[in-house]
Amino acid sequence: MFFHITLERNMQLHPRHFGPHLRDKLVAKLMKDVEGTCSGRHGFVVAITNVEDIGKGLIREGTGFVTFPVKYQCVAFRPFKGEILEAVVTMVNKMGFFAEAGPVQIFVSNHLIPDDMEFQSGDMPNYTTSDGSVKIQKDSEVRLKIIGTRVDATEIFCIGTIKDDFLGVINDPGAAA
Amino acid sequence: MAEKGGKNFSSEKGKTPSNLAASKEGSLKGKDSVPVNKTRHIQLDDSDSEYEGFVDERSPASSKASGKASSDLKSGKKKVSFESLKTGRKTSFETPAAKGDWGKGGKDFNAGKAGGKGSLPRATAVKPRLTEIELKLELELPKNARLLMDCEAAEILQEIEEHKTILSEDPKVKFPESFNKVLQYTKFGSHYINSQSARKVLETLKINGVNDGEICMIGNICPETVEEVYALLPSLKVNKHKNEEPIKEVLASLAKVKTSK
Repeated sequence: MFFHITLERNMQLHPRHFGPHLRDKLVAKLMKDVEGTCSGRHGFVVAITNVEDIGKGLIREGTGFVTFPVKYQCVAFRPFKGEILEAVVTMVNKMGFFAEAGPVQIFVSNHLIPDDMEFQSGDMPNYTTSDGSVKIQKDSEVRLKIIGTRVDATEIFCIGTIKDDFLGVINDPGAAA
Repeated sequence: MAEKGGKNFSSEKGKTPSNLAASKEGSLKGKDSVPVNKTRHIQLDDSDSEYEGFVDERSPASSKASGKASSDLKSGKKKVSFESLKTGRKTSFETPAAKGDWGKGGKDFNAGKAGGKGSLPRATAVKPRLTEIELKLELELPKNARLLMDCEAAEILQEIEEHKTILSEDPKVKFPESFNKVLQYTKFGSHYINSQSARKVLETLKINGVNDGEICMIGNICPETVEEVYALLPSLKVNKHKNEEPIKEVLASLAKVKTSK
């Protein structure tokens, strides 16, 4: 789920950046440091929307670096357990399939795929129902439920299921139930 | 990637399969014996450790004040999901083998984690857990956070992209590749002509006790029927008598604002 959140961060700036464009340099550094990172609490920081406030800089003893407390707003993305998401399948193998929803990778194990779907190997490995009406292969769109998440420094990884009602391939008349 | 994923999961299972079975029994009976699953959950706990902030907020309060009441409530809810376990998904949850346990194990991880922290007797089925998570969405995000539906996020990111194309002429400014991925995802996920009308319609549900997280989920999923809403968001079932009619109306209004895809 996306959310818009205000965060605060202490940015350190080298004296070579001091000058008339100090603020711009600080904002650029903030964007470079923060966009695209993850934290367990906020999830994935997608983009900074604006910088609210830059506090007074404090010169660090011993070095010339100055620390500025910066308050900024950003769009963050974080998957939650129990959340329903629509994702695009990126890889299929006999253990299950991988799907991507924005910055998040989701793995659906074959045990969390309905029993009537079987793995078919080949050029385009896929999961198909016994009557061939529903197929999950690379680039299929599926609706899945997140049942577990893991966050590390650069990415979020989740486990999902399509075994519940109303989950599974989207836009397919034979779709999940 | 598949290997990496597979290894993690099987090592979880491999470590203490007996504990899994034990905790399954415990969870179905409604008592959380906490077979100290913490050591098994190292991989997930990396993220779960971040949860500590808000799990602890809840647990002391509820354990002190309404421990009994909450456990009764939860056991009530657990019954609902237990029946669905019996009818729907019995086979998968009872397979002792391999990764079937992962789905169930996921629930137990929650149990172990919660039990470890607040030592609350919690029902460990996923469906009551969803209510807590939805509640946690409110608790965890401070007042300055606002939940966004995919369509709203798409609009914001679109604006940012326009600014960035101007900025990109400056070679020093660099954008993460993930930004494009997310932009694409939000476009793919937004089903409405414009987000303000969708938001207006969904806000009316707030009066009926539907919280922000649930409203966003309904907006994102774009359900067609009320049954779909209740199947995907079981936490709403609690107030079914209250919110069924409003949800039907909201779905009808949303259908008018949808883009044809």
